[in-house]
Amino acid sequence: MIEVSNLSKEFVLNRQQRKELNTTEKTALAVDNISFKCEPGRVFSLLGPNGAGKTTTLRMLSTIFKPTSGTIKIAGIDAVSNSQEARKKIGFLTGSTGLYARLTPNELIQYFADLYGVSKKDLEERKERLYTLLDMKEFQNKRIGKLSTGMKQKVSICRTMIHDPEVVVFDEPTSGLDVITAENIIKLILDCKQQGKTVIFSSHIMSEVDLLCDDLAIIHKGKLLFSGTMSTFKENMKAENLTAEFIRLVHESQNA
Amino acid sequence: MIFTIFKKELKDTLRDRRTLMMMLVIPMLIFPVIMNVFVSVSASFQEEAATKKIKIGIVGAPNNFLQTELNAIPASFGNKEVILYKDTLSMLADLKLDSLQLGAYVKLGFNTYLDSMKPAPLTFYFNATDMGMQERAEGYMEIIQEKAIQQRYLKLGVNQDKVNPIETTYTNIASDKEMVGKLAGGILPYIFIAFGFIGCMYPAIDLFTGEKERGTIETLLTTPVARWQILFGKMGVVVLSGLVAASCALLGLFLSIEVLDVVDNKEILNIIHSILSPTFIILLYSLLIPLTVFFAGVMIPIAVYAKSFKEAQSIITPLNIVMVMPAMVGFFPGVELNLVTACIPVVNIVLATKELIAGTLDFSLVALSFSVMFVLATLAVFVSYKRFDKETNVVM
Repeated sequence: MIEVSNLSKEFVLNRQQRKELNTTEKTALAVDNISFKCEPGRVFSLLGPNGAGKTTTLRMLSTIFKPTSGTIKIAGIDAVSNSQEARKKIGFLTGSTGLYARLTPNELIQYFADLYGVSKKDLEERKERLYTLLDMKEFQNKRIGKLSTGMKQKVSICRTMIHDPEVVVFDEPTSGLDVITAENIIKLILDCKQQGKTVIFSSHIMSEVDLLCDDLAIIHKGKLLFSGTMSTFKENMKAENLTAEFIRLVHESQNA
Repeated sequence: MIFTIFKKELKDTLRDRRTLMMMLVIPMLIFPVIMNVFVSVSASFQEEAATKKIKIGIVGAPNNFLQTELNAIPASFGNKEVILYKDTLSMLADLKLDSLQLGAYVKLGFNTYLDSMKPAPLTFYFNATDMGMQERAEGYMEIIQEKAIQQRYLKLGVNQDKVNPIETTYTNIASDKEMVGKLAGGILPYIFIAFGFIGCMYPAIDLFTGEKERGTIETLLTTPVARWQILFGKMGVVVLSGLVAASCALLGLFLSIEVLDVVDNKEILNIIHSILSPTFIILLYSLLIPLTVFFAGVMIPIAVYAKSFKEAQSIITPLNIVMVMPAMVGFFPGVELNLVTACIPVVNIVLATKELIAGTLDFSLVALSFSVMFVLATLAVFVSYKRFDKETNVVM
């Protein structure tokens, strides 16, 4: 379960950033007082155009960023005041995640299992299950730098799931991947849902959202435009399809 | 957790060819290669100088004193051939063409000047671009002059002792170890500082900026490990790399001395052996460890701040000069470790190491130097922590 209430994040802008953003403001509000809830066994999708605040929100959920205000609860743990405990419950995967190219998948998985304090027995069991599921056994001892994008993606998935997290955060997990490689991620999300895990993911791809999500939130310029179930969203759609409705909502908020 | 991170980062670092080159290969090979080249080049120059036959032209009367005495100087002072010229112009023309290396104009009646106890005028010509010719002429003239003086003493019937009223003896009370320590002792800390800095540089950039650039830091920050633990684990590898690079450079220097026989003076070799005691090595490292931590602590905030490997490198490389320059103070004779110099970072370590080698150590000053470096290292680590804890610095 993820419970977010009145979450805001403000960044202090340095001179160079002010120049880049063409503003004289000393701060930028990336996330503005948003609240939502992600239930276990359901897939929650965070939608928004570039710069909407999706990544900042997900980084706050995974405790990389500290919120300026508001609260986050991850599986009942306050992620702001007790971030280290909350991290034990989170699996985090982004499309831009890199892997240590000079390590082998085995070494990488062992490293992250050690960091999460996974016992030897659990590690062996989970490794066996995930390696079989993802067909990773063949390249488990090859240097990651020499693996294909698809293989690397499988290693990333295995790394995310090795501590069996209750909550899984995906930040544009399929960006830059071909359809075949992206399929591994889709399978993983569905698998997590089946196992009763709480899943939140951000994406631009509407077909993915339609296929996977049970609940969604639309965010634009840090503000929440919609939060509810997918079925409610579809019922209240004024445009022909999901993409058109998404664009309509964004434009409407810009004109408001 | 710190050790888990340290172990992984070390493994990662040891698999990076660029870091390995800077940490192990270059420091280990640089001195054997430089010394080998230096020794063989200087040996070949010495050999050439010893065997080179120079031609000395003389314009003057046949069998003048200079010609006779030059011919009498044994070949052990350098091979030579004396040629008599009729005029200065042709002698100078040959000197310009390098078919002659030295020219001497001996005024007519040179021997008469000598016989009548007057100063005999003599002019030497040489080409300053032909290295060592002036020294060669001065060397010959020292012998000839001495002979002329002896002849005059004899002629005047004067006892040489009577014209030398004071016989001075200069006795050096410094031990050989002290001499080596004070005069050449600056080299050791200089090498350590220079290579320690370079050794820290690549891992610092790779483990901080590199991790940011490759997009692996984000995942690491979502693990239940405190940021200070991540920082300490990584910093441990940076410090170790600096120490290993510096140690490899010193080992390379030691091997050059031992294996390549660059020091053929047995007394100096014995002094070097007596300096390198286990106590010396322990004391040396206890001074150098806080210095390396300080280097790491200075580099890490830059590496954390930089957005790319290139940016980090462009900031840290000039810093190398700023850090290593004070180490050169060690080469200046007369600069001693005192209450002021003990408070100047880097300089204090160089001077303390010099004193350590010379065996003239004042422990209170060494303790002060150590404390200054320890405080600075702690401060640098704190700054690193603050930088690493700043979320906008860590994540791009």
